[in-house]
Amino acid sequence: MIFNTAAYYLLFLFPSALAFRRASSQLRPWIIALFGCAFFVYFSVTSLGSGWFGAACVGIFVWESLISRLYTPGAKICFLGITASVLFLGVFKYWNFFTGLFLGSRETNHLYWVGAFLPLGISFFTFEFIHYAVDRYKGKTEAGTLGEYLAFIFFFPTMVAGPIKRYQDFLPCLREPNRDWVKDWNRGVTRIMWGLAKKFVLADSLTALTDHLNQKDIAVAPRAILLVWLFAYGWKIYFDFSAYSDIAIGSGRLFGIKIPENFSWPYFQTNITAFWRHWHISLNKWLVDYVFIPLGGSRGSLAFICRNVLIVMLVSGIWHGAGVNFVVWGLWHGVLLVIHRLWAYWLGEGKKERVEGVTPDKPASLPSRLASWALTYIFVNLGWAFFVMDMPTALFYFHRLFGG
Amino acid sequence: MNCFQWLQWLVEYVEGARDEGPPGLNLSLSSPLWGVVWVFLMAFIVLFSGQSSKFIYIDF
Repeated sequence: MIFNTAAYYLLFLFPSALAFRRASSQLRPWIIALFGCAFFVYFSVTSLGSGWFGAACVGIFVWESLISRLYTPGAKICFLGITASVLFLGVFKYWNFFTGLFLGSRETNHLYWVGAFLPLGISFFTFEFIHYAVDRYKGKTEAGTLGEYLAFIFFFPTMVAGPIKRYQDFLPCLREPNRDWVKDWNRGVTRIMWGLAKKFVLADSLTALTDHLNQKDIAVAPRAILLVWLFAYGWKIYFDFSAYSDIAIGSGRLFGIKIPENFSWPYFQTNITAFWRHWHISLNKWLVDYVFIPLGGSRGSLAFICRNVLIVMLVSGIWHGAGVNFVVWGLWHGVLLVIHRLWAYWLGEGKKERVEGVTPDKPASLPSRLASWALTYIFVNLGWAFFVMDMPTALFYFHRLFGG
Repeated sequence: MNCFQWLQWLVEYVEGARDEGPPGLNLSLSSPLWGVVWVFLMAFIVLFSGQSSKFIYIDF
């Protein structure tokens, strides 16, 4: 729950934002670090069922804060930090999934971790750790002080589910937060309230439809209703996640800290490449910078670029969840992105701008844009079947939808 | 700027994502109308808050 609880606002957000605004420049980072640490322990113990084991994972942050002090441009120790972050994520999130692939179900898997739990926000904060290590290695960001780095990793509005921040964007705001209190608190409070309204009024109300996405109900529903339920899930996850992002960004605004946007009208986009520039923007920028470009990016043959796109979306799928259905979801979008690239290339346009959705010299006609929008919208939403349902249920859904 | 883009800008401004309103809109941040917006939002939040909910993307 967290962001729709009174504790978040009364115990953490308002007191810390007010203290941050009033504090001296030396104290400000430590205020965020202290409240962030308390936030992590409090919600690990009270809300997520991972209890004191989850809270003890604050030790991961201690490790990270210490090793990060050794990062210098070109230093090999940066790779140790990156490896540790990947290991933390791999062990906590994927241990049972990967061991299960080789050793079977829980009954036959003697390596099964009974009582496995997820430290709060591990998928997100490990990505921020990796970003910092890579950018320090490349000399793209300064080290900052220990307090400043602790403030970055412990910034609780974004700790749990992003947006994934960049240290070089966060540091100037931390050192010189925006002084216009009135504007910041107007925009911040407005954004938070809209986020809560989106969550409670829109996202949660759609649960009445999306709860039917189970084998029992899918078996008896008419085909049209199957589509209604799935498309309702597409809107539910958009309202849910964008609402959380609104609350995180609005919360940052109370501190005078600018947090990157995460959604920009994704369902209005007219091709899949543009969709991924407008959906979960901070994650996709991270994947481009730390997976796509190191793989070679767009520098190579069409086949090479398509391979890189598929790998990136495979990583994205796995990151979203420890399950075969998430892998399939990632590959679904990877294939759609590859098809879009091939389609643009086949049409003879073959230009980077065309593929990446920049307005062409000759604007497309309205029927053409509507058709592109409809195709994009339909295929994105069909893909949600793999996100919301396990593989057997998703396959059964499509069997009922297309096979009767 | 076409009508659709103007409406998008307006929604983003009312939502708190933009600091400035779209061209032609005379609604400053110090206007008491924002208080009215907040009261309406709070009313909806309270009305609908009885449903149990979790955020999908939060690890648990």
